[in-house]
Amino acid sequence: MNIKEIMDIASFAGEILLSSGAEIYRVEDTITRICNCYGVDCECFVMPTGFSLTVRNKNGDVLSNVKRIKNRSVDLHRVEMVNTFSRKLLNERASYKEAMEELNRIKNMPYFSYSLQIISSGFVALGFTKLFGGNVFDSLVAFIISMGIFYAKDKIQKYGFFQFLEFFISGLIAGVLSILIGKMVPNVNIDKVIIGSIMTLVPGVAITNGIKDALYGDFISSFSRLIEASFIAIAIGLGVGVSLIIQLSWV
Amino acid sequence: MMDFVLAFIGSFAGAILFNIERKNLIWAGICGGISWVVFKLFYIQTDRVVFSTFLAAFVCGVYSETMARKCKTPAFVFSIPGIYPLVPGITAYTTVRAIVEGRLIFAVNKGIETIGTAGAIAFGIMLASTVFQFVSKVNEGYKNKPKATS
Repeated sequence: MNIKEIMDIASFAGEILLSSGAEIYRVEDTITRICNCYGVDCECFVMPTGFSLTVRNKNGDVLSNVKRIKNRSVDLHRVEMVNTFSRKLLNERASYKEAMEELNRIKNMPYFSYSLQIISSGFVALGFTKLFGGNVFDSLVAFIISMGIFYAKDKIQKYGFFQFLEFFISGLIAGVLSILIGKMVPNVNIDKVIIGSIMTLVPGVAITNGIKDALYGDFISSFSRLIEASFIAIAIGLGVGVSLIIQLSWV
Repeated sequence: MMDFVLAFIGSFAGAILFNIERKNLIWAGICGGISWVVFKLFYIQTDRVVFSTFLAAFVCGVYSETMARKCKTPAFVFSIPGIYPLVPGITAYTTVRAIVEGRLIFAVNKGIETIGTAGAIAFGIMLASTVFQFVSKVNEGYKNKPKATS
């Protein structure tokens, strides 16, 4: 197998990992492991927004490439699959065609169906609203609002505005809807409904991954992840805050 | 018990959003339930939010490392849905509310509590996984030593 094909496999695996929200050290580990399986040296530098990779074989041929990652989401199953794929390579070296087919299969692995995702985002809100001390009405209202938020967020994401707008609008929707419903229906606790329904948006993964990266020594990526997380939090807070201001001054 | 079920529902549905393999969903949900119950117990005892969050995250980390070894999957599959109930949603919301209402000192109080809780979650989980790695390394050394001497 020639050096270009090895690099193709490694960088494709890295791309899938990075765009599914894996930690930095895991991406570096996997790329290095794949290259070492095929008997070439490699040096890679990974950041949350992209990575560069240089491969060198025994004859001294050097090849490098830079990959920019645009879309980042959280998909733990894909990370797990790529992880097992790279470990499997240790035992049996797949050919170029087999490896690329396997990775393509992982990349296009089916999500849970869209309706199931919407319903489960509703259930997240329902569970947590009740958990944080709301009553049954609150959780039902949060259930509906959360489904609405998930739908709206997905629609905005498809048009591809910048990332923070969708969080801002989601927070705004959560605030406005729950204030409206709180006005119309008695017995609804607005605070609890808002908290429950923004629960699906909070950047928990980004914060934990950010601190994990720092502990493994990748300070640049840790910083950028933490800043991303805090900007998301600020965007949600702004959305909710604007709706609260509207409530305080006009309603 | 009711709390456990509710946290279970939340984490279970959250795990679906993160697209986890079907057979692991239930274990991820249980992880969320456990971490919330531990948090609640310590919170009632000590009345310290950050400290009890740290302990709960630690227990969640230990659970997910154990399950990871049993199910042969990476640990984050369980730990990320597991910390869902601990994420400081209430304090963050209270901060925003306080800023909007103009009570800035209260907002600073709550804001620091939010940051502290977020840090406590991450460090709790990391501590658990570090302990596990340490133990397995020590175990390896213990196993290898007699071979080397004999």
